[in-house]
Amino acid sequence: MKKLALATLLAVGLTGCSGSEEPQVLNLYNWSEYMPQEVLDRFTEETGIPVVYTTYDSNEAMYARLKLLDESAAYDLAVPSTYYVSKMRQEDLLMPIDRSKIEGFDNLDPELVNLDIDPDNQYSVPYLWGTTGLAVDTADVDGEVTAWADLWDERFEGRVMLTNDMREVFHVALRVLGYSGNSTNPDEIEAAYEKLTELMPSVRTFNSDAPRMPYLEGETDIGMIWNGEAVMGRDGLPTLEYVYPAEGIIAWLDSFVIPKNAKNPDAAHQFISFVLQPEISALISEDIGYATPNLAARDLLDESVANDRASYPNATDMINAEFQTDIGDEALQVYAKYWEMLKSGQ
Amino acid sequence: MRSARQQPFRTAVLILVWGWLLFLVFTPNLLVVGASVMTRDPGTFISLPLNLDAYRQLLNPLYLEVFLHSLYMAAMTTLICLLIGYPFAWSLSKVARQHQVLLIFLLIVPFWTNSLVRTYALKLILATNGLLNSALMSLGLIEEPLQMLYTEGAVIIGLVYLLLPFMILPLYAVFDDLRDDLLRASHDLGAGRFSTFIHVIVPLTLPGVLAGVMLVLLPAMGLFFVPDILGGSRNLLVGNVIKNQFLDARNWPFGAAASIVLTLAMAFLMFAHRLSKRRIGEEGV
Amino acid sequence: MSRWLPRTYLTLIYLLLYVPILVLVVFSFNDSRTGYEWGGLSLRWYEALFNNRAMVQAMWNSLWLALSAATVSTIIGALTALALHRYRFRGKKVLNGMLFIVMMSPEIVLAISLLALFLLVGLQLGYVSLLLAHVTFCLPFVVITVMARLSGFDERLPEAARDLGASDFTMTRTVLIPVIMPALLAGWLLGFTLSLDDVVVSTFVSGPSYEILPLRIYSMVRVGLKPEVNALGTLLLVFSLVMLMLSQWILLRSKR
Repeated sequence: MKKLALATLLAVGLTGCSGSEEPQVLNLYNWSEYMPQEVLDRFTEETGIPVVYTTYDSNEAMYARLKLLDESAAYDLAVPSTYYVSKMRQEDLLMPIDRSKIEGFDNLDPELVNLDIDPDNQYSVPYLWGTTGLAVDTADVDGEVTAWADLWDERFEGRVMLTNDMREVFHVALRVLGYSGNSTNPDEIEAAYEKLTELMPSVRTFNSDAPRMPYLEGETDIGMIWNGEAVMGRDGLPTLEYVYPAEGIIAWLDSFVIPKNAKNPDAAHQFISFVLQPEISALISEDIGYATPNLAARDLLDESVANDRASYPNATDMINAEFQTDIGDEALQVYAKYWEMLKSGQ
Repeated sequence: MRSARQQPFRTAVLILVWGWLLFLVFTPNLLVVGASVMTRDPGTFISLPLNLDAYRQLLNPLYLEVFLHSLYMAAMTTLICLLIGYPFAWSLSKVARQHQVLLIFLLIVPFWTNSLVRTYALKLILATNGLLNSALMSLGLIEEPLQMLYTEGAVIIGLVYLLLPFMILPLYAVFDDLRDDLLRASHDLGAGRFSTFIHVIVPLTLPGVLAGVMLVLLPAMGLFFVPDILGGSRNLLVGNVIKNQFLDARNWPFGAAASIVLTLAMAFLMFAHRLSKRRIGEEGV
Repeated sequence: MSRWLPRTYLTLIYLLLYVPILVLVVFSFNDSRTGYEWGGLSLRWYEALFNNRAMVQAMWNSLWLALSAATVSTIIGALTALALHRYRFRGKKVLNGMLFIVMMSPEIVLAISLLALFLLVGLQLGYVSLLLAHVTFCLPFVVITVMARLSGFDERLPEAARDLGASDFTMTRTVLIPVIMPALLAGWLLGFTLSLDDVVVSTFVSGPSYEILPLRIYSMVRVGLKPEVNALGTLLLVFSLVMLMLSQWILLRSKR
């Protein structure tokens, strides 16, 4: 009886709030501050479709929500990073992209399409890409730093920063040991863990919110950083240098995907085409600070941006570079176990 | 005797309260308990068969260590909040009445600017290049900048800063009720200041203290973003571990089990505290 | 001495509480992007903020949600505390236990279990789901605050009221409510603060139709904390202070 009363109450409240079928909108589910407002405004102006921009702060949270919501998910477009595309594709969370409705796909860098994460780009269209490399504050560090292995140097005790990202941190240790950053071999992962425990006394902090900040705060002198952050960090700390380590950087790619239950897939396709216009892609890259995969856009970029080696690496910088791949669930558990041991200092 | 017209109000209140809690607390927690005895599944998060693997994993001494360290930091936070908050609430209750509401609001207003933003503001102060170090160095008090950020101390400072009003508000509510005539009576009966404090004020404000302790201690175990931002992700709280299990490791049964055990452990602590209070003759609250 | 000591102490603590806020206000006018050095006076972050329509909308959504969540949780929380305090009924311990569990549950667990519940009953995610969730996690804070106040309360007052023929409802309204008023105010403020600040639960139970501020702020840090956030914090502070003064002014006028 009580429950019935409550249910009625709820039902009344609900019908009062859920509106009738709305006209076409675009529900964009994206990282915060990862799309200039100007682009959204211009899209609405051109197509008449309003954009509702909702944000998330990690791939994990985005994935968990899309997966849980399933049928009731109301997102038309999301922007997962690298291997989350393959993960979501394999778990049937995505709608295939209708290439006939996309204009400008040919503008994309051939190096960044048809990757293992999504062969033939059936489910994803690259948006922005970047790398995770070494940051060195040359004001406080003497001598050349060229490799991830240099982090283990004793003179950096208490001055090292790592990203707060399990996969990336293990990636570095695995590369130093000569393994693949996507290793699924438990022995190799354990060896990487052992290697990282040697590094722990040097590690001052983990940061994946804004990895440039510990350098600017003066807390750390050397460590990991994302290239876009390094570019931004130079504004406040001109001596902050972005180094491509000999063992290879970690590369990642954020792509547009359309969730399986999108209500406005047409608007989503329209938006992707809109972003693929060279002029718009260039605008995004200059505003956000990461590299656009749109080759046609690169010619439109400001000289200083286009020639910045941190944002747009040359071919030698990319030697040994590795994209992260989906390592599967079993390996993930092994990583998670060692990560927890590492962080809690055992 | 209760007259009939009193009944509808009572019934309405009880239905509302029970209905709300059963629907929004009991059912979801039933789901949590259910999840904790299921098997981790990479595709659907959880699946059958039922088992106790998640609880077995918890036996790893690693987790006891995290729990104890987290409890220690939460307890320190609570203690500092109490030491600051108790005299604060007392002083507040002595201010002229018409100013009290204003002062309470002034206390809470900083908390309406998002806690995350304020935690970042603390960072601007505590960093090596931060304001406090610059100030101390320009005053000539220190030669080298102090390392304050990314330490256990920074985490505790952050927690205190975020949770202080949760100690002060319930304390204020009891101090406000503390009538001056009682204190005067105590004084007239020859009790000194100290004696009045111990025998009159402390027992009368104890409910507020206990309420404040609960409101600070329990949330302090779970504010995962404080260690992330101020502790350099190295001084983990239980909240961090559980969040990681749900999001990064996607081991929901384990996360659920850890959450249940945490709740039970804290309930046990509170219960033991009450028992010990009773035994020494004070009235349990 | 008994007058200036408390005042000095209060002033000191208020200063400490406001120092980080002042830092935030000052840096919101800083032209530099990074925040650790002074780049000259500028209003550019305010301009950027006002051009961000989604952000402004999220701010209003947040304020409305916090107002309603605080009010509903204060009403239900006060009634719960009264019931626990005054009525005899079965399952009091269970009720207490449930409140304890809400306080103790790590936010992520609360978030996912509430989301699972909403999906189970087919509730559309948006304002209603956010309100239900926020009221739920604010509830124990209100109950505990009110209970603390009630436990010091003279039981003879309601008895006297009842002897004089007042109904339970009348007695609650005329005797109990005035007595617990400071605790209600405290509880409402706690609820408002908690709701305005919540990130984790909201991440999971909000829908695209109702985006709120903390979510935007929280995810903003991924690409580095922008000084816009300082501007936003300053605006929130100014807004709260204006509201505060307005309410004081109204209070004074009505007394006259």
